[in-house]
Amino acid sequence: MEKPLPTVSHLSEPFWGAAREHRFVLQRCDECGAYQWYPKAWCADCGSRKLRWKEVTGRGTVYSYTIINHAKANPAFTGEVPYAIAVVELQEGPRMYGRIKDCPIEEIATGMKVRVVFEDLSEEISLPQFTRDRSVGR
Amino acid sequence: MKPRAVIVGYGETPFSRGRKERGEEQLTLEEYIAWCADLALESAGLTKGDFDGQGLVVNGAQYPHSELWSCEVAQNLGLTVKRLVRVDNGGESAVSSLGRACDLINSGAVDRVLCVSADAPMSVSSHPYPYFGEPYVYGRDYEDPYGMQGPKAVFGFIMRKHMELYGTTLEQTGKIAVVSRSHALLNPNAYFKEPISIRDYLDSPVLSDPIRLLDNVMLVNGGQAFIVTSVESAKKITDNPVSVLGVGECYNYYQGSRSRPDVTSTGISAASREAFQQAGLAPRDIDCFQPYDDFPIAVIMQLEDAGFCKKGAGGKFVEETDLTIGGDLPLSTGGGQLSAGQPGLSGGHVPFIECVRQVRGEGGRRQVRGARIGMAAGIGGLSYIRNLENTGVAILGSRDASG
Repeated sequence: MEKPLPTVSHLSEPFWGAAREHRFVLQRCDECGAYQWYPKAWCADCGSRKLRWKEVTGRGTVYSYTIINHAKANPAFTGEVPYAIAVVELQEGPRMYGRIKDCPIEEIATGMKVRVVFEDLSEEISLPQFTRDRSVGR
Repeated sequence: MKPRAVIVGYGETPFSRGRKERGEEQLTLEEYIAWCADLALESAGLTKGDFDGQGLVVNGAQYPHSELWSCEVAQNLGLTVKRLVRVDNGGESAVSSLGRACDLINSGAVDRVLCVSADAPMSVSSHPYPYFGEPYVYGRDYEDPYGMQGPKAVFGFIMRKHMELYGTTLEQTGKIAVVSRSHALLNPNAYFKEPISIRDYLDSPVLSDPIRLLDNVMLVNGGQAFIVTSVESAKKITDNPVSVLGVGECYNYYQGSRSRPDVTSTGISAASREAFQQAGLAPRDIDCFQPYDDFPIAVIMQLEDAGFCKKGAGGKFVEETDLTIGGDLPLSTGGGQLSAGQPGLSGGHVPFIECVRQVRGEGGRRQVRGARIGMAAGIGGLSYIRNLENTGVAILGSRDASG
């Protein structure tokens, strides 16, 4: 079964275009300075439409996570269980989902430092995931 | 503004898994709508004709999905109404239906409102247009590609956060599942008929750690309806009125910043504050609490946010409180969705209808003695890395309750 891929739209193309080049960008509001994820048509903090895509560190911290043992609701992932999905708090502010690649699930913990890596899924989609950030202490 | 409205009738169909191999009928969504509307009219002693030129509130259904569903329902029921409202607040839809009905009546637009809701997830295979894809665009684009698995995956990380922040234990969440099941055994309409123990809960398969199988609801087919009128008209319709003492709603609530909200806090705090203020009541006045119980951890968060205890103390509160029918705070007295079943997007009507039933004194073997004031909560719509976007609270009073 094919894995579900994100749809690319006028709104999200700058993100996926950068991701294709393995660059990690977020929308930043010119008015209030807030970063946001996922892509939105105006700043959910202040309501400004003056949003700019900005390359960011891709570094963050695991805020929480769950370990999936049962993939019936999204069956393309059945062959991968058990796997962990983390909620990562990015250094710039927003939280996003991601898998922690190359990390045994029993070692994943809240507070773990991670950084973005890209998983090339198709010509169009390179999905941001995470890996342990060994350049910083836990 | 304090709502001035009365619930004068209600109906709830039995729940079914629609398994033909077991001889269970596989009714359609349209059949459930007609059935629950019929039950509500019968309970109020009204007829379809009493709603000509009045109001109709229709909850969206997911199985099968019809985008312009409310007018389809009006057409199927043959109702020509003055106001037609569709709500699409997921698990909060019962409270929002009540809220819109009160708005319509209190504005003077109409005198009576029929609120209907049903869903038929177990009958999807019999329809040419099954379940209409993702409920959320952000789910399709920013959750599913990671292998997210719907609500249980979201509640997996929320529950872990609650446990890590506050020390909430599996024994505490498990108690809610066990108590709910004991109540379902007294409810002839409930889907689950076998008692469970805390050991069963702890040993049930871990689906989305720490969420276990017995943290989850079972989808069923079913429908619920209720009728709201002005205070004046209610006197002519019933001698067992249910007063709407308070209705509070809050949508897209954030505790903390937009980018880093506290995922353990819901808009039930704001909604319950509004409802309690309208009612002039406090949590200690509540005779039974019917939370939206899609997961036990969500019940704990609602107990905290509604003010039954402080944020973070919900686990301990559950541990120390008798939640049974005769106890300190009777909870999910019909078994809730955890044990009665979840009729798709009509799931929020399970706690709400049970609340109406209890304050009317029609709970049968599970009646809370002297239940004068009941509280039902609704939560629905899973946000992106937060919790529930739609939150609402209804406080209902029996004919013996002042208000």
